[in-house]
Amino acid sequence: MIKFERFTLPNGLTVLFHKDVTTPLAVVNTLYDVGARDESEEKTGFAHLFEHLMFGGSVNIPDFDAPLQLSGGESNAFTSNDITNYYNVLPAVNIDTALWLESDRMLSLAFTPKSLEVQRNVVIEEFKQRYLNQPYGDVWLELRPLAFHTHPYKWCTIGKEISHIEEATMEDVKAFFGVHYHPANAILCIAGNFELEEIRDKVSKWFGDIPEKLKPARILTAEPEQTEFREKILERNVPTDAFYYAFKMAERRSDGYYIADVLSDCLGRDKSSRLYIALKKEQKLVSEIGAYISGDLDNGLLIISGKLNPGVTFDMLDNALWEALDELKKSPMKESELNRLMIKIRTAREFQEQGLLNRAMNLCYFELLGDVNGINEEHLIYQAIQPEHLQETAIHLFRKENCSLLKVKSLSND
Amino acid sequence: MINRAIAPELQTIKHIDFLKPKIFDISPNVHLYWNADVPNDTSRVDLYFDAGTILGTIGVASFVNGLLLSGTKTHTSIEINESIDALGGFFESGVSNENAVISVYALKENMMPVLRIIRDAIHGASFPEHEVDELLNDRKQKFLVNMEKVSFLAQRAFQQRLFSESIYGRVSDLKDFDSISRSEIVAFHDEYYLNGLSKMVVVGDLGQDAVDHIIDLFGDWSHAHQPTFEKNIHNLRGTAHIVKDDAVQSAIRVGRMLFNKTHPDYLDFNILNTILGDYFGSRLMSNIREDKGYTYGIGTMMAELHASGYFLIATEVGKDVREATLAEIQKEIDILQNELVPEDELELVKNYLLGQLLKSADGPYSMTDLYLSVEPYNMDMDFYNKAIESINNITAERIQELAKKYLNWDDMTIVSAG
Repeated sequence: MIKFERFTLPNGLTVLFHKDVTTPLAVVNTLYDVGARDESEEKTGFAHLFEHLMFGGSVNIPDFDAPLQLSGGESNAFTSNDITNYYNVLPAVNIDTALWLESDRMLSLAFTPKSLEVQRNVVIEEFKQRYLNQPYGDVWLELRPLAFHTHPYKWCTIGKEISHIEEATMEDVKAFFGVHYHPANAILCIAGNFELEEIRDKVSKWFGDIPEKLKPARILTAEPEQTEFREKILERNVPTDAFYYAFKMAERRSDGYYIADVLSDCLGRDKSSRLYIALKKEQKLVSEIGAYISGDLDNGLLIISGKLNPGVTFDMLDNALWEALDELKKSPMKESELNRLMIKIRTAREFQEQGLLNRAMNLCYFELLGDVNGINEEHLIYQAIQPEHLQETAIHLFRKENCSLLKVKSLSND
Repeated sequence: MINRAIAPELQTIKHIDFLKPKIFDISPNVHLYWNADVPNDTSRVDLYFDAGTILGTIGVASFVNGLLLSGTKTHTSIEINESIDALGGFFESGVSNENAVISVYALKENMMPVLRIIRDAIHGASFPEHEVDELLNDRKQKFLVNMEKVSFLAQRAFQQRLFSESIYGRVSDLKDFDSISRSEIVAFHDEYYLNGLSKMVVVGDLGQDAVDHIIDLFGDWSHAHQPTFEKNIHNLRGTAHIVKDDAVQSAIRVGRMLFNKTHPDYLDFNILNTILGDYFGSRLMSNIREDKGYTYGIGTMMAELHASGYFLIATEVGKDVREATLAEIQKEIDILQNELVPEDELELVKNYLLGQLLKSADGPYSMTDLYLSVEPYNMDMDFYNKAIESINNITAERIQELAKKYLNWDDMTIVSAG
């Protein structure tokens, strides 16, 4: 059970407070309700580039990191297709430093041309390091537009192409800040050994005078129901053939999301999962295989990926994979298997909740989902999942016309 | 109205309570360390073995480590994994130069049954031929994928040149994978696992009975004597480049043999290390990422071995700025050797390091890990009180002195790939 208090400031900022008396540290976590899905198709990668600029100084403070480091803390952030999340971890006695810095960059940035110029380069190097200079690194750049035709999930957080980052202008930066970075579009969580009243005072002091703005309306192009099997083959200079089966699955706020999560565990989380046993251990078709969900807020993907053993063809894999998927559709899962999946989920959650930062981030995320107490009720949704739900969802998910398949063919195998 | 241009007042950390785990003697040189102070149902058990990669034929240590749960005369690997998963257990195993570590994570109510399964699986490991072949195939494929990464190529060449003539400098080639025999695997397992346990760690509120039981389960694997480790390793100085034509970035590794926590200069050098490259505001990050935009990240680290240690600078940069990056790294080192670190920067780094120390002592798992990082050197938690002292007493002159002593460019092994 993760305890929390929740209040809002008159300017629309939602604040969560999580008390932990055991730690000398404090976490200040800020989630902005903006991600790569909010970009226009001509200017992708912007939410993430913007995240970098948030460290380039704010209106009253020339440098974000140095004062935080001076207080004994450190900071980082991440951007996904759905959200942008900033966090500071510092000695609790110096919490005001984090609130001062975080509130000033919510008020306004410094918008220095040098920061934009440098961070454009940094992000381009990040693009190269993660997506271009790694074997199989460009898979997501290719898989997203195959699986999504209209929804903005069709591009990666890093952006569709490097040129979009190169072309970002200061006007773009200012406009983006104006629309997305203000109290009503943010959720703040403070965790540590404090009293609620103390937090209320501090947050009001630092964030209270930031002007109120309207939360931007989000109108995304919905992805139409997929009606045909999609396949794309990439030929790459990689040592072995690799495959990525992507099935459309339910949005984050639905029960179907949790059922798909359990299905992915069943197929490919552990060494006792079905695909690992059937395709790797028994039939020896693959050297590695796994299944996981993309974890998106809107309808996302359940992905099965792996690498073929030498001498194995994509067709051999395809037959064996569909046979395993059909088995899930044909017969309900045995209780012993379901219990095994559930205890793993429970154990993993307990370990995750150990960390103060994880708790603060998750509280913000559940608030974004609409009910912060969902953090304490999620396990009930998992526990309620029955074999017939899994079977039903498997029948719905694992259809050829719901599948996008990306094959990476090794040029050296010819 | 608040004046936002003025920073809030700061408090400096003066004292941190470093708590040492309870120690149980299993033999004169094998101990179990227990931290029971976990406020929830999670628990972790680590087993350390003298089964590092410097032992045996090249590759065999890593192979045996990967085959620990590959089956016994009575249970297949599938059955073993299913029974661990059915208890919600997570099993991790890894191997470094000098040892191998198994970590088991589970809710405390399930830890003992999970450990019994693992004990039986490792004790009775029969290394079935199909499992050995499968791992061989997987490792070859992984190796080929790794050889496509500039970071791997650079790290591999760096390791060869850093450890030069020493056994630590061995690296695998594809052909080595086929030369490991089953009898070597069996012998390695017997010598370094079933008779190679060097320590055990328990974190979790498991109770004294459980800890006694863990000693019963694994105590008979205790090694008879401490292994000895090579001292006086000298790195090969100078530059090497590995060409990879299709790369869009180059990986860079610069470093030298240095020392570990037992050396009197260790703590002060660690402050210099932080200033140069071990935090987001470091000299190298500020210059090469935040000013030039050459890289997504650059960092330095101090790595430790039992009887020695080394210093390393690592980054991946645009291929066209490789030489420029090396020149900037050299320039930053020159500045540290020739100019005193400004007072405000030194104060920032001191506070930052104290904050990080506070963070690394937060919670029972972190606190235990702090102890585990001094225990191999026969040191105690008092090391961290000395670290606080070192931070409080450091001067700009001392930093400069250490930079002159240990960061000479001519002493470095410099490797790039891409």
